[in-house]
Amino acid sequence: MKNIFFKNVKLGVFVLSGLLLLILLLYMIGRNRNMFGSNFNLRARFENVQGLKAGNNVRFSGIDIGTVKEVKIINDTLMEVEMIIDKKVKNILKKNAIVSITTDGLVGNKIVNITAVKSPSLYAEENDILPSKKSIDTDVMLRTLSKTNNDIAEIANNLKLTINKLNSSEGLWTLLNDKTISKNIDNALAEVNSASNNINNISRDIRTITKDIKKGKGTIGKLIRDTLLSKTIEEAVNNIKNAGVNILKLSSDLDNTVLNIDTIINNGEGTVHALMKDSGIVIKINKSLDNIQEGSKGFSDNMNALKHNILFRGYFRKLEKSRQKQ
Amino acid sequence: MIENDQNNTIVLKIRNLNKAFGDNKVLSDFNLELYKNQNIVVLGKSGSGKSVLIKCIIGLLKPDSGSIEIFNKNSLDLNTDELDKIRAKIGFLFQSNALYDSMTVRDNLEFPLRRHWISYSQDEIQKMVVQALTDVQLAHTIDMMPVELSGGMRKRIALARTLILKPEIILYDEPTTGLDPITGKEIINLMVEIKNKYNTSSLIISHDIKCVKYASDNVIILLEGKCYASGKYEDLILSKDEKVKQFFE
Amino acid sequence: MKNTSSINIFLKEVGETSGFGWRFLTQWFRPRYEIKEFIKQCYIIGYKSLPLIGLTGFIMGLVLTMQLRPTMVDYGVESQIPAIVGIAIIREIGPVITALIFAGKIGSSIGAELGSMKVTEQIDAMEVSGTNPFKYLVVSRILATTFMLPVLVILSDTISLYGAYLGVNIRNVTSFQLFWIQVFDSLSFNDVLPAFIKTYFFGFAVGLIGCYKGYNSNKGTEGVGKSANSSVVVSSVLIFIIDLLAVQITDLLGFN
Repeated sequence: MKNIFFKNVKLGVFVLSGLLLLILLLYMIGRNRNMFGSNFNLRARFENVQGLKAGNNVRFSGIDIGTVKEVKIINDTLMEVEMIIDKKVKNILKKNAIVSITTDGLVGNKIVNITAVKSPSLYAEENDILPSKKSIDTDVMLRTLSKTNNDIAEIANNLKLTINKLNSSEGLWTLLNDKTISKNIDNALAEVNSASNNINNISRDIRTITKDIKKGKGTIGKLIRDTLLSKTIEEAVNNIKNAGVNILKLSSDLDNTVLNIDTIINNGEGTVHALMKDSGIVIKINKSLDNIQEGSKGFSDNMNALKHNILFRGYFRKLEKSRQKQ
Repeated sequence: MIENDQNNTIVLKIRNLNKAFGDNKVLSDFNLELYKNQNIVVLGKSGSGKSVLIKCIIGLLKPDSGSIEIFNKNSLDLNTDELDKIRAKIGFLFQSNALYDSMTVRDNLEFPLRRHWISYSQDEIQKMVVQALTDVQLAHTIDMMPVELSGGMRKRIALARTLILKPEIILYDEPTTGLDPITGKEIINLMVEIKNKYNTSSLIISHDIKCVKYASDNVIILLEGKCYASGKYEDLILSKDEKVKQFFE
Repeated sequence: MKNTSSINIFLKEVGETSGFGWRFLTQWFRPRYEIKEFIKQCYIIGYKSLPLIGLTGFIMGLVLTMQLRPTMVDYGVESQIPAIVGIAIIREIGPVITALIFAGKIGSSIGAELGSMKVTEQIDAMEVSGTNPFKYLVVSRILATTFMLPVLVILSDTISLYGAYLGVNIRNVTSFQLFWIQVFDSLSFNDVLPAFIKTYFFGFAVGLIGCYKGYNSNKGTEGVGKSANSSVVVSSVLIFIIDLLAVQITDLLGFN
């Protein structure tokens, strides 16, 4: 009889532990899905919800604060997203916080991002409709990247032309004896040269990246789920864009300088000697050459920065390796 | 049919029983009467349908046609509950003992007591178990498992389990098969003893002559599904019939 | 007149098994209730299987993690191992592997036990002593397998997740808390509930097949061996079929 009693006790412990674990599991999931505990509803409207579904996470400045409860169609151009938000942020979240739909990583789940705005407002309340922002989706980003890429290629071409002009402008070489100026020009040319090389390499690299990303190959794996990623790509794209603008300016500066020199020489407005004596012009030329040097250096730096960007680091390394192999 | 001197109440009456498995007719128009306090031995060759006969009586098999009257009730017309009540008055000793391997001897004996609609108190059950085991002289095995027992002991435990509900009819399915002659003799003695002590009627399926000799009041020879011959052992042994004679050689 | 071609035998088996299952469904809720026997079977079927199922579950979680790691490292998503292992174990591997081990252990033992009871006339003896052997033996066992397997699966899932936790920590350091947060974060009710519900059917299948094979065992010791063997084989196949059905049904209902 005692034996049977202990058997039943063991069985009871066995069954109860199973049930307890099940309840715990369900509770943990429920807690993650904000099914238990107190919370409140918020809404936001979008033109396009980009595949957002009930159950997707809602983040406020990077912290999970709730889930999407429902996505409703209001009319043919307006969708409404209803969110369940943890009550803990009720006195933090303000009415003017901006809601956007982004991707968790490059190809991860859609998430709703709520970003606070630094201007005074009332706290958000039950069923408020928060303002929304059209978000950058990956597609748009890639399109921009591709355009920037083309721009850079064009710039590089322009730069090449300028350099060729500079090279072919023989008068300049023979006539400019001033050592400082020639040294300066030399330096500037070297910088511009390496910069244009860099541009060439990088524009090629970026083209491959873009292609790869579009195909969904290689680096994608590394990119997945990097929450910072979309930001980083945006930054990178901006950097490239800035660099492009700089170079454009640079090359046109260089162009102008060379043109100036050429016109001066061609128009025979005084000999080179006279030219050199004109300290104003010398200073001007020197200054512009310095500018060119600085500008091209800046571009190189930009490119290096891009190379060392976490996002592309691995990719460039791989590229180098494969180049070495070849 | 020869009547018993002490009592002439019919406890079991079988009429025109038919049972076939496919084309194999095992019982055809079989008739039998069992009186109170009478032991009938059914003799027959292996596969002649002896076991089928008693399984039909207890309701484990359904006959194709005919009637089986137990205590004047046709068992074939009864529902499960009524059949269970009838079954409680019938003991069945299986050829392979059918002791529950997973239970102790005590649990084996308690099993039929706990099953039926009658509810006994714990003390009563205890007393009945000990009594039944004492009847078969195996009181010391009460907490053993059936596998620990010898063949003869298991047969006796099975007999004790059969007896525990104080049945009025006991059906023995080859009680001495697989036992050595000495143990077989002990079982036969027990059967006779039980009959005298509890005033039971028995139907014994066997092909063991010893069993016929010592335990029978009446003998039925089952041949080709029919009751070929019947009578007392002493009469049959003198029979000139070839087919009867072969059983007693 | 006997149709002995294998397709006919197969169809006959299917028909008889279904009939047996139907008999169970129409009988289990009717008195009398063999509660004591049910509890005893729960103890044997559930509690006694725990060590085996715990061991296999533990190894499964550990091995799965170690096998996944190289690929996950290649893709640079090593940090997602807990999530992936969690989903794999809870949704599919836990229930199916546990059910298969369960079929191997319990299916064969039920098949052999009932088979030998049948052969040694114990089932007949029960019927004679006024017990409905179907209720006493079959209903109690099928109910026990149906209700014990889900419990075993939950325990086994937990143990294999613990194994996975150790597996993660072989090459890496993840705190216990972070591991569980990652696992739970990736799970939803749609992962847990269909997986949990299907284990009831797995348990039912193992019990039903084991009982059917044992209850209809042929005479002789060979028959017992055969029923033990075929109950394992058939219930294992049935587990996969149920699994297939379950995934299709959850898909149709939109729970995936």
